[in-house]
Amino acid sequence: MSDVLLRAENVGIRFGGLQALEALNLTVRDKELCCIIGPNGAGKSTFLNVLTGTLRPTSGSVRFLGHDIAGLPLHRIARLGIARKFQIPSVFPSLSVEDNLKVARWGAPSPARPIAELMDLVSLGNRAATLAGALAHGQKQWLEIGMALAIEPRLLLLDEPTAGMTPQETMATAEMLLRLKGEFSIVAVEHDIRFVRALNCETLVLHQGRRLRSGPFHEVEADEMVRDVYLGRR
Amino acid sequence: MIARDRNWLLIFAVCVVLAVLYPLFADGYQLTVIRDALIFGLFAASLDFFWGRTGILCFGHAAFFGIGGYIMALVTLNDAIPFGSLLGIAGAIAGAAFVAAIIGYFLFFGGIRGSYFTIVTLAMGVICQQAAISWSSVTGGDSGLIGIPPIAFDVGGMHVDLSQDLPSYIFVASIVAVIVLALWSISRGRWGTVLTAIQDNEVRAAALGHNAPLRLLVTFVLSAAIAGLAGALYVCMAGLVAPDLSGLLLSTEVIVWVAVGGRGTLLGPVLGAIAIQRTQQTISSFNPSLWPLLLGCVFVVIVFVLPDGILSIYARLKSLFKGRRQAQ
Repeated sequence: MSDVLLRAENVGIRFGGLQALEALNLTVRDKELCCIIGPNGAGKSTFLNVLTGTLRPTSGSVRFLGHDIAGLPLHRIARLGIARKFQIPSVFPSLSVEDNLKVARWGAPSPARPIAELMDLVSLGNRAATLAGALAHGQKQWLEIGMALAIEPRLLLLDEPTAGMTPQETMATAEMLLRLKGEFSIVAVEHDIRFVRALNCETLVLHQGRRLRSGPFHEVEADEMVRDVYLGRR
Repeated sequence: MIARDRNWLLIFAVCVVLAVLYPLFADGYQLTVIRDALIFGLFAASLDFFWGRTGILCFGHAAFFGIGGYIMALVTLNDAIPFGSLLGIAGAIAGAAFVAAIIGYFLFFGGIRGSYFTIVTLAMGVICQQAAISWSSVTGGDSGLIGIPPIAFDVGGMHVDLSQDLPSYIFVASIVAVIVLALWSISRGRWGTVLTAIQDNEVRAAALGHNAPLRLLVTFVLSAAIAGLAGALYVCMAGLVAPDLSGLLLSTEVIVWVAVGGRGTLLGPVLGAIAIQRTQQTISSFNPSLWPLLLGCVFVVIVFVLPDGILSIYARLKSLFKGRRQAQ
């Protein structure tokens, strides 16, 4: 029990008349990798927003290392050790790659990894002086992962990390995450099934705000209902 | 980055040399003209420190200039207060910072940004000017307060008296140089880089662990404190304080100085303030009503054609020639 990092219990959220999420449970253990998948509108990003404390659930609770994080200011949540990569690449376009990573390190309570190591980790070692706004789309996504790593997180939450990437970049990203697995916990919300297959980890399938199935990816993938709702449509 | 820093220091050094040599060629009147222009230059640099680094425009910065001026006037005109000049300057800085802290706290932590911030600060400037007019028992109303003594204080056994032209010029020029240099080193280091990041994407910066509202607030308070200092210096040199010093016209003018000189350069706004005031005096000497018209036109042209200020012409030409060369 002691290695539980994040525990979401019976989380439900209602926007007016719309029940966006209902009775969701998720337990993330230390250094565990897991994915949340589902069709468009299944509530993946909403669930991630609840997990990072930016949205307060209307029922249930989210606890990170035993703290209730709902409604805390963003920078406090970051300082607890939760890093987040946004769906749209959110780098600082008017700063260089190096300065982007510096800003990320300065925000951390105890940064450890040197800038050069971070740049190599996300394959941007030769782009230190490039303005982040001038990077290619896939490189921006990687830089953002690098910035999330810079704050030495306990938990890294990725919202569609491969959105807009080429198949090669998607696979390179999967390899990057597999290399980082074991250093901290990672939760990835994804759309791209090849990416999730490459990660082959614990997977939660959402459909219309509810849990459809959860388990290791190969079991989930074999499930008839999951195929009907999600995989079969592709 | 490093080349840019070197260029800035070079231009700064040239300005300091010019400021040192100027008294050799100028008479007393010309010295006081430049001295007053430098005070407004300090005021422009204070606005630029906030606007240039955060991208948030304060449209009521003259309120802080005026608050500083009135506090200085009230302290130095009251004979019961000892060390009037020094206490007045300290009070002016603290008063402007205090008002900025209160207003800024509610705006920044309330999530007010962009145009909304500009509009609220515009209203703040109008309120300050109205207060200065209406509270006539203290502020002297429309006509303001006159007879403010020049700055004089004792430091380390030495008596400093700024009633003469040359000492007051040297005093003001040194203060401006030191503060501009200090603001520059703050804004190019860690503090400024994080501010640029917040300007680019505040939510992202917060998600990395930065307390964005607090950082914006501290920057705003520091900016207001320097504006207050400029106001205090000005009223002692001019000998009077009036409600216009916190008014809308001055708030607009300081924005034009910064925009013309180059937002984010700190030195540019000082030069912009000096250049525009010299032009204003020349033009007003043959037709006083021409100036506001011209000022408005210059502002519109700058905003549309040169949003990065007049200094950006050089950078633009450079990139133009570079582009040509690559195209050939």
